[in-house]
Amino acid sequence: MSFKVAVIGDVDTTTGFALAGASYVHVHTKKEETLAKLSELLATEGIGLVLITHSIAEELGAEFRRAIRTKKLLPVVLRIPDKTGYMPAVDELYDLIKRTVGAEIVVRAEGG
Amino acid sequence: MAAAVAVVTPTRMELLKLKQRVSLAQRGHDLLREKMDALVIEFFEILRRIGEARTSALKQLSQAYRALSICSAIMGTIETRQASKEARRELEVEVSTHHVMGIVVPTLEVEKVERSVLDRGYSLYTTSSVLDDASREFEKALGLLVKLAELEESARAIARELEKTKRRVNALEYILIPRLRAALKFIAMRLDEMERENFSRLKRIKAMLEAGA
Amino acid sequence: MIIDQVLKFELSRLNVHLPERRISLKEALKSAKPQVAARDGSIHAFKREELDLLAKTVPEAEWERLYLPILIALDPKLGRGAARITGGAEVKAISQILEKKGADDELLIYRPEVAIVRRKLPTTTQYLFVPG
Repeated sequence: MSFKVAVIGDVDTTTGFALAGASYVHVHTKKEETLAKLSELLATEGIGLVLITHSIAEELGAEFRRAIRTKKLLPVVLRIPDKTGYMPAVDELYDLIKRTVGAEIVVRAEGG
Repeated sequence: MAAAVAVVTPTRMELLKLKQRVSLAQRGHDLLREKMDALVIEFFEILRRIGEARTSALKQLSQAYRALSICSAIMGTIETRQASKEARRELEVEVSTHHVMGIVVPTLEVEKVERSVLDRGYSLYTTSSVLDDASREFEKALGLLVKLAELEESARAIARELEKTKRRVNALEYILIPRLRAALKFIAMRLDEMERENFSRLKRIKAMLEAGA
Repeated sequence: MIIDQVLKFELSRLNVHLPERRISLKEALKSAKPQVAARDGSIHAFKREELDLLAKTVPEAEWERLYLPILIALDPKLGRGAARITGGAEVKAISQILEKKGADDELLIYRPEVAIVRRKLPTTTQYLFVPG
């Protein structure tokens, strides 16, 4: 089955991905507005992937995290850096590994 | 004394039922532990692939942002944004599913993310080749990000299932099975005691009968 | 006891990801959308690169005898970390993938080898839990 791509970002991010063929773009300005848009996108049938920048996701805070936890199988949501390259200090995936398999294994993996 | 699993009368029937429960719990524990081990293998493999996918996707994305800056600088920001509105924005992602041991994970694929200049839809007369470059870099980035999205989503799903399975294995190993075994021991002991009491009582009766005779 | 019920439920769910019916490598290679339906109705798709890799591991005559997904059987009786592959064509394919010799109908592999097989054939192999 085919699905479309949506992007939530600043002007440059949305412009770039629109040029690449993303169907829905939302330029972020106000928190409540963007949260509403996010809910809308998560509920839209034909969307398979939502790209959102790390800085916006961080700004949306707890409501963003809840939306991700409670969403359906689709769309998949991926956080990406914007043009500043900003990524949060705590890598969510690293955190996930620690929680799932335990801190000792993470240390071992890093140490080689 | 260890807490009994339930209040049961010490009979042979109960002993047998309890033995069956222990056997089921032990088998269940062993199977769930195999599932847990298998999930750990899956989890680490996915993490390894995410590491690689992230590196190439993020590198490509930086390139794309740079190309866009160049485009805005040369063509103008407004014109660039205008072109993005004119572009054909119908990119489709093929979604299917994979099944990994009780978890359904989505698979995402893009067929032809890189398009020819004509396919993109913006006017070739009012735009410059820097726009083509920026578009191409973003198309490449999008292709890599689609793959990354699939991997990250799978990793989350596997982690959730692994967590759940681990909790079950631990509950069985540290709570249920020890309790069942303790109850089993208790009942076996009681049955032994009762049998010995019975035996001595019979002996006393026999002695009384013989003395009276 | 609640744990007993949970246990029964989990055990019944163990193999729910497996398909009702497997398809042969030959069939999969011919299909435009090679996939099978799992017991709970969901679709499990095979990746084409894996099918191509498998096609190279056994002679063409055996493609119709190699059933997908290849099952990696986990049986606690084998001991923790051990797995079994059954089926002549399947054994041949996995042996090739692991670059070891295997000519029988059955092959025992160990955890590091299981990891290699799952890495190379993530969609065309599946775990089978043997309740015994």
